Amino acid sequence: MTKGRWETMVGGVILAGHLMGCVAQTQPAEFFQLTAESPSHRAMQTRFFETKDEAELLSASAAVLQDLGFQVEESVRDMGFLRATKERSAREHGQDISRFFIFLFSSALVLVQQPPIVIPVDLHQKIAATLITRPLNQEKTRHEVRVMFYRVIWKGNGSVGNQPILPGEQRMEMVRDPVLYQTFFAKLSKAVFLEAFAL
Amino acid sequence: MKPSVAWGEIAGCLLAAMLVMVQGCAAPQPSQDLLAPTEAQMKIRSVQSRSFDLADRQVAMRGVIAALQDLGFIIERANESLGLVTAARFAEPRFYDVVGITVTVRPEAEGRMTIRANAIYNNKPIEDPKVYQNFFATLERSLFLVKE
Repeated sequence: MTKGRWETMVGGVILAGHLMGCVAQTQPAEFFQLTAESPSHRAMQTRFFETKDEAELLSASAAVLQDLGFQVEESVRDMGFLRATKERSAREHGQDISRFFIFLFSSALVLVQQPPIVIPVDLHQKIAATLITRPLNQEKTRHEVRVMFYRVIWKGNGSVGNQPILPGEQRMEMVRDPVLYQTFFAKLSKAVFLEAFAL
Repeated sequence: MKPSVAWGEIAGCLLAAMLVMVQGCAAPQPSQDLLAPTEAQMKIRSVQSRSFDLADRQVAMRGVIAALQDLGFIIERANESLGLVTAARFAEPRFYDVVGITVTVRPEAEGRMTIRANAIYNNKPIEDPKVYQNFFATLERSLFLVKE
C-alpha cells in the first residue's frame, strides 16, 4: 500500500515536471546582451552629420522615407524618433519556380492516388523603418542618424496531400542588406546638403 | 467489519467531492490582499529598477534608446514627457517569437534618475534577474558613451 502510494507520488511529480517543461519557455538572457555582430550592424545602420539642426535632419529623413514610399506612422520630435511603414507584394520568382518544380516532381504522387504538393509562397509584406537622431557631443554640433529596417511577411496557401495549408502564416525578419542602408543614407545626404560620415 | 470500513471510505470520498463541488459553485471571495504588494512583486521590481547619476532626463532616454538599438530592438514608441520607451525585437533566429520591453525613466532625486525595465517574451513577463542584469550592463555602457 505504502509502496503504491510512493510510486503514484513519484509518477505525479515526473508528470508535472513534463507538463511544466511543455509550458515554460526558455527566456534566453542573451537577448539583452551585445553580440559579435552588434558593432557591424550598428556601423551599417548609422551615419553622422556635421550639423546643429536636429529638427532639419529629422524632417529630411521623413522626406526621404516618403520618397521611398513609406507612410510615417509615428514621430516624436524631442526624442528625434520616426517610424514609417509600407506594404508591398512579396512575390519572388525564385519561390514560384521552386513551387512549380516541387509540384512537377510530386505529381508522381498521383500514381498512389495522392494529390501533388503545393508549397506556400510569400505573398504580402509590410516593410517598416524606425529612425533615431541623436546628438553626439555636448555642443550638439554633430548628430547621428540610425535607421533600422525590418519586414513582416505573410504566406499564401498551399497543400500537402489532402491537407490544405491555410494562408496567412506570418514571419518576421530584420532587413540586413547593406545596399538598402547605403541608398537611404545617400538620399538623406543629398536632402540635407551634407556629407554623411560613417562611424 | 471490513465492508463497514469501505462504506466509510466511500462516504468520505463523496463528502470530499461534495465540498469541492459546493466550492466550485460559490463565487470566490476576493482576498483582502488582492491588490497589496507581495514579496515577489517587490523583488521583481528591485531587479527591474536601477538608479543612475544623471540630471537630464532627455540624456537618460536617449541613452536608453541607443542601448536598445544596439541590442537590435526596434523602437516602437517614445514619449519624452512621460519618460517612456517601448521597443521590441524578434527572437532571432526564431522569427515567430517576439521579445518586448518597456522602459520608464523617472527623476528620483536631484541629479538622480530611476530607470525601470519590464521585459516580456511572447506576452509572458520575463522574471529572470540575469536578463535585467544584461540589459543594465548594456545601458551603463551606452550612458557612459553619451556622457563622453
